[in-house]
Amino acid sequence: MKNFTYFRPTTPEQAVALLENRWGNTELLAGGTDLHDLQKEYVAQPARVVSLSGVNALAGIRVEEKSVRIGAGAKLADIANHAELKRLFPSLTDAADQIGGPQIRNMGTLGGNLCQRNRCWYFRDEHTNCLLKTGQRCFALDGENKYHAIFSQGHRCVIVNPSTLAPALIALGASAVVQGPNGRRTIELGRFFRAPGANNEREHVLEANDMVVEVTIPRSNLANASYEVRHKQAYDWPLVQAAVSFERGDGGVRNPRVVLGHVAPTPHVAEAAARSITGQAVSEATAGAAGRAAAQDAKPLSQNGYKVKLVEVAVKRALIIAAGQKRYWEV
Amino acid sequence: MSDTKETTGLSRRQFLKGSGAAAAATALGTAAAPGALAAQAPAAQPVPGMGPAGVKITLQVNGRKMSSTVEPRVTLLDALRNYLDVTGCKRVCDRGTCGACTVLLDNKPVYACSMLALEAQGKEIRTAESLVQGAKLDAVPAAFVRFDAQQCGFCTPGFVVAMKAVLEQNPKATPAEVEKGLAGNICRCGTYEQMRDAIYSLCNTKRGS
Amino acid sequence: MAQVFQVIGTRPIRHDGLDKVTGRAQYGADIQLSGMLHGRVLRSSHAHARIKSIDASAALKVPGVEAVATAADLPESGDRIAHLGEGAVNLRHLSSNCLARGKVHYKGQAVAALAATNPHIAEEALALIKVDYEPLPPVMDVREAMKDSAPKLHADVFTEEMGQLKKDKPSNVAKHFQFKLGDVHKGFAQAAVTVEREFHTATVHQGYIEPHNATAMFNPDGNVTIWCSTQGAFTVRAQVSELLQIPVSRIKVVPLEIGGGFGGKIRVYLEPVAAVLSKKTGKPVKILMDRAAVFEGTGPTPGSYIRVKLGADKTGKLVAGEAYLAYEAGAFPGSPIGPGAMCIFACYDIPNVLIDGFDVCVNKPATAAYRAPGATNAAFASETVVDEICRQLKIDPLEFRLKNGAKEGTRRADGPIYPRIGMIETVEAAKKHPHYVAPLAPGSSPFPRGRGVASGFWFNIGLKSSVTASVNNDGTVSLVEGSTDIGGTRVSVAMQLAEALGIRAEDVRPVVADTDSVGYTDVTGGSRVTYATGWAAYEAAQDIKWQMLEKAAQLWKTDLDNVVYDKGVIRAKDDPAKKITFKELAEKIQHKGGIVVGRATVDPPWPGGAFATHIVDVEVDPDTGKVSILRYTAVQDCGKAIHPSYVEGQIQGGAVQGIGWALNEEYAYNAKGEMTNASFLDYRMPTSLDLPMIDAVIVEVPDPKHPYGVRGVGEVPIVPPPAAIANAIYAAVGVRMNELPMSPGRVVKALAAKK
Repeated sequence: MKNFTYFRPTTPEQAVALLENRWGNTELLAGGTDLHDLQKEYVAQPARVVSLSGVNALAGIRVEEKSVRIGAGAKLADIANHAELKRLFPSLTDAADQIGGPQIRNMGTLGGNLCQRNRCWYFRDEHTNCLLKTGQRCFALDGENKYHAIFSQGHRCVIVNPSTLAPALIALGASAVVQGPNGRRTIELGRFFRAPGANNEREHVLEANDMVVEVTIPRSNLANASYEVRHKQAYDWPLVQAAVSFERGDGGVRNPRVVLGHVAPTPHVAEAAARSITGQAVSEATAGAAGRAAAQDAKPLSQNGYKVKLVEVAVKRALIIAAGQKRYWEV
Repeated sequence: MSDTKETTGLSRRQFLKGSGAAAAATALGTAAAPGALAAQAPAAQPVPGMGPAGVKITLQVNGRKMSSTVEPRVTLLDALRNYLDVTGCKRVCDRGTCGACTVLLDNKPVYACSMLALEAQGKEIRTAESLVQGAKLDAVPAAFVRFDAQQCGFCTPGFVVAMKAVLEQNPKATPAEVEKGLAGNICRCGTYEQMRDAIYSLCNTKRGS
Repeated sequence: MAQVFQVIGTRPIRHDGLDKVTGRAQYGADIQLSGMLHGRVLRSSHAHARIKSIDASAALKVPGVEAVATAADLPESGDRIAHLGEGAVNLRHLSSNCLARGKVHYKGQAVAALAATNPHIAEEALALIKVDYEPLPPVMDVREAMKDSAPKLHADVFTEEMGQLKKDKPSNVAKHFQFKLGDVHKGFAQAAVTVEREFHTATVHQGYIEPHNATAMFNPDGNVTIWCSTQGAFTVRAQVSELLQIPVSRIKVVPLEIGGGFGGKIRVYLEPVAAVLSKKTGKPVKILMDRAAVFEGTGPTPGSYIRVKLGADKTGKLVAGEAYLAYEAGAFPGSPIGPGAMCIFACYDIPNVLIDGFDVCVNKPATAAYRAPGATNAAFASETVVDEICRQLKIDPLEFRLKNGAKEGTRRADGPIYPRIGMIETVEAAKKHPHYVAPLAPGSSPFPRGRGVASGFWFNIGLKSSVTASVNNDGTVSLVEGSTDIGGTRVSVAMQLAEALGIRAEDVRPVVADTDSVGYTDVTGGSRVTYATGWAAYEAAQDIKWQMLEKAAQLWKTDLDNVVYDKGVIRAKDDPAKKITFKELAEKIQHKGGIVVGRATVDPPWPGGAFATHIVDVEVDPDTGKVSILRYTAVQDCGKAIHPSYVEGQIQGGAVQGIGWALNEEYAYNAKGEMTNASFLDYRMPTSLDLPMIDAVIVEVPDPKHPYGVRGVGEVPIVPPPAAIANAIYAAVGVRMNELPMSPGRVVKALAAKK
């Protein structure tokens, strides 16, 4: 790890003031579970690290009348174990509960989960100069890409966004409150992510001197769920994730949102799946059809064709969980 | 094989003035431009920086205050092992994936390899060493000994701390809840059966029931 | 006649238990010496390249950097073969594996090393060592590497074809050999059923939790002390002696506690490098590997291509077997193809056999032993084909094994005739086990379930062990042994001494000593420690008994043949009043009579071998391809279980690793020959939540040669799991998985292909 100067501000304003208007030389440190790995691999080599551990204002989960506000510094474990959140937004708390192991959940934060760097092994290899560094091309495109995007149309870099909270939050209509040098603004999480394509771009739309301070989720009675297909039972990244939400109505599902994780450079909103399930009662048949609709535009790479099938499954199962039906797949 | 061209095989590492290899890096002209720090840094800056030279830290480890001087980049794990001689936590993956470095930080299990020593100041740190006081062995490590829930023993202190964390937070935890608390630890010798025996005994539950 | 035991078969607490659970036990990384420097190793970023030059001048200018080492600092080793306890190695290759000479043959190969005053300086300065490479095309797959057109790793490796070196042109195929028994053509002509299939297995790593480490202190007088994590202190001494051309008497190797090895901590990597750096600087040098270096720079077990053909007559009797095995040796010749080829049909009595084995170099790390090296790959292939034959003949797979299983007198294809072995007994125990008796019940999900079985064989080895045992005046015995304790062998060895002396296991204090403090002892490997070092402890106990009898005879002023030793008590035959316990006599001789020190060194015959039969039930999620293990039973013949808990622990541990090999683990390589998943996260070793309860069932068919009937137990349990799981998957969903690992993606693909 390259050595650095360490700053420990106590307010978001101070923290933002310590940032720079370009990426790389200064990094924000939240839980550290991602940043330090990148530093140890020399993929991140900041000269300045701004720790958020002293910014108490970032902590806390507040359930209010119209919305739920979760501080960017809230630990994943606090989200996963929050009784009221579990009742309202099981998609979010389940997703949080499945990240890493207990140690990671005690360290990692909401803000860190949303802003973490992607897991592409080319990106994370010190010696590979890919698009997201200063290189000219994406090595995964025709290389080892079994965990890469199957919806990457139009993108030069075929990473998958690594956040598992993001699909859940997007499906719940959440927004991020962002502190910048000129004050705060709100960004819908559905517009928060982008596909990076160069070393001056990250997996989200923030500027280098912005930081997330809070995520707000409108209170609702939405049925919601997140389902991950993983290789291992524990301590593994999803191969594919689906988060869903919908209003329950007499005429079946209303205003559904289906958001996929780990299939595209950003959380992927599956509109066709939403259309497919709209107005239907959730059943294995209708949920399965929605799953197929979600997968229909997939364009897998050379090694990740299996993910197409997993999209179908994840969407189907997420809908069944959200509808409160029997989880037929559990051993 | 088209990969070969764009990757140099050379390190892309930069060197920073003031780091461990500081003077030398400058002498070799490999340091990042010194201006990078000065020119780009925002103007009014009330928050003082620490480092990159060594910073004096004080950690509360196993009930004792311990002090040392470490560079900001030194992780809690390396500070404990290399500066404070607390070697019960092990350096195995150094990437927060195996649990051998697990310590309790204000009673919660964390990976000591994935946090800076600086960030652990003001918090109570406990390692496996804290679970034996004089001749008295805590119930969790005692169960590991009794059921021989170890082979090579290298992952063991991390597992002991992770299991202790669950039972301390919830003394009525079920065996399944305790086992879930071990999801962030790896034992390659595969002594999970013996750990399960230890868990059931600690939960006062008969296995198979 | 069954022996009656007092200590053997009990489950005493291990002597080192407390130290290990509280983090007090001393491992290699815990060593701190005054003035110690920290070494780091620069590793190749290319899978295959010529080293044109190495320029360390910039690194050497960094304040705090005290020395750099490259292959130029190691003496030219020449093409000599050294025996390391479990396999032989060409010293020139071993040397190049420690510090590359002229070429790099895999990404991660050590190229240079430096020592500095702190680890951060060492790490940063490492990047200033300039290596000018001429990249060469790598070859990563065993069958590609066998082609004439493949890039050649070595200009001086030629095929040893049936014992004859073919020096006409260099080849990646270092060796081709055959084992023949009977006449396979005639055999297959009698077959009513013949099945032939192809299999591929991925490279996997031993995955020991503790990374390699070495600390060396080279004194000006020419003596060097090395502290390290190793399965064999004496093999480290021998290798360092050969590589640095120093007499063994000048080298002291101190083995610290070892955080797992599984075969991977026999060959040296860091020890000679630390010694060279220490010699250059005059200071102690410690080198620790990081996890990526462990994956990329140390021996995994080979990937392989295997073809198996088996024929059985209509009664279900195997009549012929043919196998073609090509194993990836990695960078240098020396894959475990020999044992793989010997093991592939070792569970069965087959009259006509032809086995072809190939040892093939590819641009991956030089493979090292991993728990029954070579046997797991082979059993995945042969046990799957056996299962297919059973299905075609509609014979229960355990019945089939009872009919065809190897027994005393069976000749294995590579020559040996089995002594008393327990293959059949493991099958009988499996057949009677409640797991097998109970039908496979459907679960709450609609997903298909299936049951599979597979058997496995491993030789186990004998080799040399030495112990000394000093009787203390409090009636305890200090037992000094040279076998590093990876999984509880201090206890299993001490128990055999205690049994022989009629004292408690707790009254034996076992210590693992350095190479200056105990007689020569071979590696902790080959499932040999409880067998061979335990045997040495038994012999040392006889030595002690003899001496104690002498002391008692002197005490009672009687003839030696008038005293007898019986379960810890010495008696005079002619006088019932004259009896003294071991403890009492131990105290007495401290004052009068002289000290008793027993010693023994053994080089026992090779043991009869170990067999295992595993049963597994799985559920397959056909939508995701995820295989869940519902129930697992591992039956194994261990001869005699000295400490049953440790036997069970070895069986379960082996099964756990076999399950990881079957379902999760693999080295993923990109086109440049770089491992892309060199981290625990991406390599996916199973956690507790991924593993079922594993019921270990001990069968005891004593090895008639061993004083207590011991057979080694550590290795064979890794052999059956991949095949057993593959057979269970077939039973569940009707697809034959012929490639490891059987990951969700592969299962989904196989299911889609079936439709």
